[in-house]
Amino acid sequence: MVDSTTNVASEKDLERLEKALDFSNTMKTFNLNKNNLKVKTQNLLSYSTAGGSFAVDQSLISFMYAVVSSGKTEITLLDKNSIPVRIEDTEKFLDEVSSLYFEVVNDYYNEYQKLRSSRKIEKVLEI
Amino acid sequence: MSRGIIIFAQNNEYINYAEQACACAGYARKNLSLVDEICLVTNTETLESKKDLIDEYFDNIIVTDSFQPENVRLFKDTIDKTEYASFKNMSRSDVYELSPYDETLVIDSDYFIMNNVLDQVWGSDNDVMINCKYRDVSERHKEHIEYLDNFSIPMYWATVFYFKKSDFAENLFTIISHIKHNYKYYYYLYNCSGNLYRNDFAFSMALHILNGSVAFDVPSLPIEYLNNSFDLDDIYRINSHNDIIMYCADAERVTEHLLSRFTDTDLHVMNKKAIGRFIDDFLSNGEKVNESHSHLEKIDE
Repeated sequence: MVDSTTNVASEKDLERLEKALDFSNTMKTFNLNKNNLKVKTQNLLSYSTAGGSFAVDQSLISFMYAVVSSGKTEITLLDKNSIPVRIEDTEKFLDEVSSLYFEVVNDYYNEYQKLRSSRKIEKVLEI
Repeated sequence: MSRGIIIFAQNNEYINYAEQACACAGYARKNLSLVDEICLVTNTETLESKKDLIDEYFDNIIVTDSFQPENVRLFKDTIDKTEYASFKNMSRSDVYELSPYDETLVIDSDYFIMNNVLDQVWGSDNDVMINCKYRDVSERHKEHIEYLDNFSIPMYWATVFYFKKSDFAENLFTIISHIKHNYKYYYYLYNCSGNLYRNDFAFSMALHILNGSVAFDVPSLPIEYLNNSFDLDDIYRINSHNDIIMYCADAERVTEHLLSRFTDTDLHVMNKKAIGRFIDDFLSNGEKVNESHSHLEKIDE
């Protein structure tokens, strides 16, 4: 026989549940803001030169590092639209894409930490 | 090579597009530095309604009183208010002829530039750049590509696009103009949804035709995604020229909103009434023309 009294949630349990559901609302706002930050970062990680546009990421930087390390000063590279673009100064290109990457990702980190560490979303949004 | 931004605006009975275009121009001028001029393409009625304000925000004004056929659309201001009003969007296909610039960036009057990434378009090797990928800032639309219909071609967003004077661009706009004048035929051919004439649709069809009516890729703008805030969203506060807090309609319950802050990222705000409510904030955070005089060009039709 099942004891029905054990199935009745206590007031304390209901309070906890309410709190958890409230928190899910906070999480929704957190996730939305996090995803918006992510998209902003993707949009900012764009570098254009010599008529081409490049999505700056770790693989582009690694590839360019290998190119520069091998002593090549000029190369042809496919840009984000798969159009070949002549890069005439590989070292400068590597410097610029690396700087952009670190700057943008660092900003992302700072904003993400701010978002993550604050329990009150109002505080992060400064409202 | 001359470089200009062109914004189209024609008031209707519901929206003051002239004010909206000024706000949009102010944000573009504040955040982009490699543009020679910002130009408004409008009609006489709209120009006369806000002449002084327009002069403050635009370097150049082109007046074209071309006939605008009936095109009625539903405007939403969140879930609460909806209204049908005329939608005067037919001059977009004339931009190749109208643009006095070698390189042109066309933006919708509800597209707010809040970083300098679009400065990267100038000097591009591409004749035309336009985005297919978008993102809904409220995440109600989960897909990043929309199609004219489930069985049709991908949709390119004519919200913001770049072109340079070139054979490709000239031919593209010739086809867009042809589609505009024979819209019903192409509407059925491409299995479009909705009754409205949409520039997005006309551009997508023209790009498809120009690329040989096969699967094609058109170079995208330097931005990866078009950041779309649909008309169920609202504006909470304008903080500055690169900082806006939005009420984003909850994906599960659109009557409820979540707050999200947008800094240093372009935003396409489709709730035009919301822009109207914050127009003073938009205008004060944007940048005006340094020289007070603007050049007025009249196109007689």
